[in-house]
Amino acid sequence: MARILVIAEQRNGKLSEATLELCKAAKEIASGLGATPAAAVFFKDDSLAKEVANYIPEVFAVVDGKLGAYDADYYAQAVKAVVEGQDVKGVLIPHSYDGVDYAGKAALAIGAGIVSNCNKATVEGGAVVFTRNTYNGKIQEQKSVKTDKFVATFEKGAYDKEAAGGAGSVTAVAVSLGDSRRKIKEVIATMAGSVDISQAKVIVSGGRGTKEKDKYNDVIVNLAKKLGGEYAASRPVVDAGWTDAARQVGQSGKTVAPVLYVAAGISGAIQHVAGMKGSQCIVAINKDPEAPIFNIATYGIVGDLFEVIPAMMEALG
Amino acid sequence: MKIVVLVKEVPDMESKFKIIGDAKIDESQIAFKMNDFDEYAVEAALQLKEKFGGEVVILSSGPERVTKEVRQAFAMGADWGIHVSDPQIDEGDNYVVAGALVKAIESVGGVDLVLTGVQAEDDQAGLTGVFAADMLNFAHCTNVVKIEVGGDQKALTINRELEGGLNEVLEMAMPAVLTIQSGINQPRYPTLPGIMKAKKKRLDLKKAADLGISALGEAGSKTKFHKMYFPVSEHKAEIIQGDAKAAAKTLVDKLRNEAKVI
Repeated sequence: MARILVIAEQRNGKLSEATLELCKAAKEIASGLGATPAAAVFFKDDSLAKEVANYIPEVFAVVDGKLGAYDADYYAQAVKAVVEGQDVKGVLIPHSYDGVDYAGKAALAIGAGIVSNCNKATVEGGAVVFTRNTYNGKIQEQKSVKTDKFVATFEKGAYDKEAAGGAGSVTAVAVSLGDSRRKIKEVIATMAGSVDISQAKVIVSGGRGTKEKDKYNDVIVNLAKKLGGEYAASRPVVDAGWTDAARQVGQSGKTVAPVLYVAAGISGAIQHVAGMKGSQCIVAINKDPEAPIFNIATYGIVGDLFEVIPAMMEALG
Repeated sequence: MKIVVLVKEVPDMESKFKIIGDAKIDESQIAFKMNDFDEYAVEAALQLKEKFGGEVVILSSGPERVTKEVRQAFAMGADWGIHVSDPQIDEGDNYVVAGALVKAIESVGGVDLVLTGVQAEDDQAGLTGVFAADMLNFAHCTNVVKIEVGGDQKALTINRELEGGLNEVLEMAMPAVLTIQSGINQPRYPTLPGIMKAKKKRLDLKKAADLGISALGEAGSKTKFHKMYFPVSEHKAEIIQGDAKAAAKTLVDKLRNEAKVI
């Protein structure tokens, strides 16, 4: 029977949560197609393959000293080898930093169409239809592939994590890896040693809508102080140098879950939401009524943050 | 150093979008601009040129109006450009567009580096750079936040952004494709003399036939578009009505007495 294959993801020998989410996705898609769910694990030994076997019935282990850390060329080669040897119909890859780096190459290597950055997959008339965010999360679209095989990448949180419990089989697949054109020198931390906003009970976060550094300080920093919390930012504010990288909330920054998170002038792109959706109470202030942040907020005010925040300061007394 | 920058025109994401027939956005009411991530790529290319010499070529695919973004990159300091203009390419998916861009890159010849944004703000696919690298048989790296060029101008040391504030430092040889992450630099504004010069810079127009492209339109695509729609959220915020003053007062009251979080 054809297989729906998850490509596992690891950093420093630790499986990513996205891997477990895709195990759930693979089971759903496989059940709709009458296929079987499986996973491929590329690592320097078979320890992670054994771990993944707790979540999915069939695991293919490609073991090679070259696979200790992720590499685009090796991963594309390994995907091709497993897909061609094991009757694979669909390949599921996390839409993560590593996944984005090789999924397109893997798709070309196996001659498959790819739908990237998906948040859902449904089976309609024997074909898999993928749903994905476009236009900064404002519009969703549905796509499928025209090729016999498919590759899809899924955004983090698209599926719940599969629970451990099964005892799947682990089968070694021998792959003769060629060369990689990249060499990893080291992994460095770029925001170490600064403030730790992740412990704050109240966080006031500003986005692109704060317009400039002085205005960001004026509204965001002051409201944070008034509420006895920390100030933070979405990526564009840090990119522009208005505040430190250590205060960035989102996929590439900190993950926070305060009691109160105020998002002002933040549209609510998935990369930002990934870092704050666990907050207990979310307030969104944005002049764009269609901003996706209103979909996850508890309370929303559609308006100009430069009017709303001073009014909040006044109301707080 | 010869650098090609792939630039895409996208709608301003704060536009009020309208969808026509579940199939496309109404472009008549929309302002277009350069994809943010590509602007960082243009700046990165200009900084490399300033350090090591060479030329920066802007490459964009799309209708006539995309020449505005190409000229913007010229005004920032890029040397010349190629406008790939063919409805048959525009109707294709990422695979078709990447294939067309690759043919145009090959037509430039002797390219050391191809830079583009990590993704387009409209499509959010993040595929073009990786596809182009594979089709060109170049090394590549995505989510680049730092570029250093070795003394011989053949080797690169790259920082690839990872989750949670980590960077992977990589070495690779040119030619290469790098997809540029926002924040790598502060893109410059075009100067008035720059804008004047931009009008006279060389911009080659290429059709699919000029580039010898075979995979075209829907037929050449590997994916099929079904429909687009506005997402229906299961959870919507309680929108607090009133002018800024009244809404703020109600909000503070709710935070104190309803949510009890302050």
